[in-house]
Amino acid sequence: MSAAPPLIEAIRLAKHFGGIFAVDHLDFAVHEGELVGLIGPNGSGKTTTINLLTGHLRLDGGGVRVRGHAVGGLPASGFAGLGVGRTFQITQLFSRMSVLENMLVPGLARPRAHREAVVREARRHLEFLGLAALENLAAKNLSGGQQKLLELGRALMLEPKILFLDEPFAGVNPYLRDEIIRFVQTLHADGRTFVIVDHDLDAIQRLVHRLVVMSRGKKIADGPLAAVRENQDVIKAYSGT
Amino acid sequence: MLDYILIQAANGLVIGVLFALIATGLTIIFSILKIVNFAHGEIYMVGGYFGYYVITLLGVPPFPAVFVAMALTFLFSIGIERGLLTPLYSPSIERKADYGILITFGLSVFLRNIAIIIFGPFPLRPPSFLEGNLVIGGLIVSDDRLVAAGGGILLLAGLIYFLNRTVWGQALNAVSQSRESASIVGINSERMYMLAFGVGGALAGGAGALIAPIYSLSPSMGLVPDTQAFVIVILGGLGSVSGTIIAALVLGLSENLFIALLPDPSRGPSYANAFGLFIMMLVLLFRPTGIFGRQHVAMD
Amino acid sequence: MRRLDLALGALLAVFAAIFPLLVNAYWLHVMIIGMMFAIMAASWSLLAGYAGQFSFGHMGFVAVGGYTAALLATDLGLPLPLGMLAGVIASALLGGVIGWTCLRMSGPYLAIFTMAFSEVLRIIIVTEVEVTGGAGGMTVPQLFHAPTDFPYYYLILALLIVSVGGMMLVVASRWGLFFRAIRENEQAAAAAGVKVTRFRIIAFAIASSLAGLAGTFYAPYIGILTPDVASQDQMGLVVAMAIVGGMESLPGAVAGAIAVEFLVEALRSYGQWRLVLFGALLLFTMRFARNGLLAPGWFRLRGLVAPRAAGLGPEAAD
Repeated sequence: MSAAPPLIEAIRLAKHFGGIFAVDHLDFAVHEGELVGLIGPNGSGKTTTINLLTGHLRLDGGGVRVRGHAVGGLPASGFAGLGVGRTFQITQLFSRMSVLENMLVPGLARPRAHREAVVREARRHLEFLGLAALENLAAKNLSGGQQKLLELGRALMLEPKILFLDEPFAGVNPYLRDEIIRFVQTLHADGRTFVIVDHDLDAIQRLVHRLVVMSRGKKIADGPLAAVRENQDVIKAYSGT
Repeated sequence: MLDYILIQAANGLVIGVLFALIATGLTIIFSILKIVNFAHGEIYMVGGYFGYYVITLLGVPPFPAVFVAMALTFLFSIGIERGLLTPLYSPSIERKADYGILITFGLSVFLRNIAIIIFGPFPLRPPSFLEGNLVIGGLIVSDDRLVAAGGGILLLAGLIYFLNRTVWGQALNAVSQSRESASIVGINSERMYMLAFGVGGALAGGAGALIAPIYSLSPSMGLVPDTQAFVIVILGGLGSVSGTIIAALVLGLSENLFIALLPDPSRGPSYANAFGLFIMMLVLLFRPTGIFGRQHVAMD
Repeated sequence: MRRLDLALGALLAVFAAIFPLLVNAYWLHVMIIGMMFAIMAASWSLLAGYAGQFSFGHMGFVAVGGYTAALLATDLGLPLPLGMLAGVIASALLGGVIGWTCLRMSGPYLAIFTMAFSEVLRIIIVTEVEVTGGAGGMTVPQLFHAPTDFPYYYLILALLIVSVGGMMLVVASRWGLFFRAIRENEQAAAAAGVKVTRFRIIAFAIASSLAGLAGTFYAPYIGILTPDVASQDQMGLVVAMAIVGGMESLPGAVAGAIAVEFLVEALRSYGQWRLVLFGALLLFTMRFARNGLLAPGWFRLRGLVAPRAAGLGPEAAD
């Protein structure tokens, strides 16, 4: 294990809605180069955790560090600027803008970005994702699967060090699912860190090395895939006892 | 001095009841159709004129005329809903919230201007409900105001009964909470939208007819209630009927007291409206969805 | 197509330059008013159409610009151009402040808040009679002392070209992309690294400074400034112009403003009916032609003309 600080770290992270803790003092660290799965039954706080770790929700307690530096009150755009990318449970695109324009927004939002270079880079990513031919199509006219890939591409334009994928396999046909798994593996091999939230345990197990399980806002398991699978607490959480 | 304050407070409560009618209509429309009706003040104005013409052309006595005016306003509102608002329900229209804002804003401008042509620019005043005043010690309140407040309270009570005890009312409640669930249970949403807009408009129209003998009718009389209604629903919460009623009473009272207590009599009335608006702006600053409001769900 | 565009542009430029010589004083006045409204409509279109911020307080900024310039000129004796500059700066600053206060508001809440802002401003102007002349208005000194309106015409033409040209440059730049992203999906824009806060404030500041600019021109040109300039009816007029012209087209908003202004004047003999007419026009356009009438109409026209343009030269082939 390297001595470098984790790429992103949640320290006693807390968020409550009404009287309930959606995220209950969570400690969670991701190091560079990892491929982590974050799973748990519905309502366990997975998406809330991602929202807290990417600046989309304000913390009610605890802190977030990126490479050792505290980034508590940073807005979502700030996290994006630090190289923390994410996709959403329900695809969030710029519907009436073209596919290329969707890619240009994050590209040009980076400081000192030059248009020609950004356009070239966008086309490269679109090529990789198989969307190159759809460049001028309005995003709302893409199929559901294509929209998911576009959202991934948009996150890639941030030159992210870490990518949080929120239910990338939700409602996706088996062919696209395999495609997404291949994309993630390729991108991971290129040096990117991933945290993937999903309910598709099959896909998760094919991808990840480490599994973190949440239940009712707390972390109940965190370790290598094989070990966690055997964990009694995990089995109990999923079977609802 | 105390008498003056009491009179102003009493007037404030009367105004508060009528504001409550208007604002409740706005809140119902928002709950069901998920749009802010920028033409609400103009529907109030139209209702007032309906009342006037029903009295003068059809010879209906003043108090029953209010209910006839409400019925006419109900139909008028449904006409607006069918003519202009149906795109809100079709899946192919984008940016529904924007459409709702712009079309009702455009409607308000249109109604204001056409009212000048149809009704003439000069104020009209329908006959009083009841001549005379109620005098208790130093407190003097005109009987018209009492009737208006009484009518208003009657209508509000009727509305609350309607929403909680009748099938239609409960259906409206269901749709306001979840359109999909309501349709699964067999509630026809399109009919609910019509009903909601009709009821909301009728309430405003009723307020217009009730207030007409007191303040007279003019084509631009909808402008102030427009903004006041917004203040109220923001304070009381877009979508909350009880919050709206409370906020309306509080606002009516406090604005009139503000006038009473402000040392400068020439500025008082003018700034009373600004006062309410200013409070609303402050509320929106700290609680962008109002004091009691639920998070408003976008139409799409 | 480029040959056609250049030809049309040149024609328009010549027409604009000699326009005062082509018409009588009355229609020149109408055109000047139209161009002034064009700045208001185009800047509103930038804020509402491009950046998605539906502000009904736009006319409040026109009033701020106008009254600032007028008050500085009459009360402090400042030369009018300086007062006008102050008016623009005041609107820009206030616009930025309003944009900042509205950051957590969206859709109808923003509309209500900005409408309230405009109303509060109007009420203050009406009530503080000693300072502003109240509802009766205040007289404003003239900018030019020429026998005709020619100097005003060329001034507003220059202001129009600079402001709309500037806005079009912004829209074509990455800022334009960010505005549209914010309009489309604010959450996604933030996740994409767009500094939403900054750009919403910038959009407000740009739009309000140009509204203020129009106001600073309005005051000396008309010679009298009343609080009605900040009324919701005036706001409705500007909204109608932007919508008829096409909400996402800045040249469309300009064309819409000029067209509506000419229409309003041409129908002057109908009195109150013309306001009803344009109200109906607004409703009709919103209901059935949401992208406006003029901008889509123009594109269709170009599509018809294009086949003929192919015969003009090899570069017309795109």
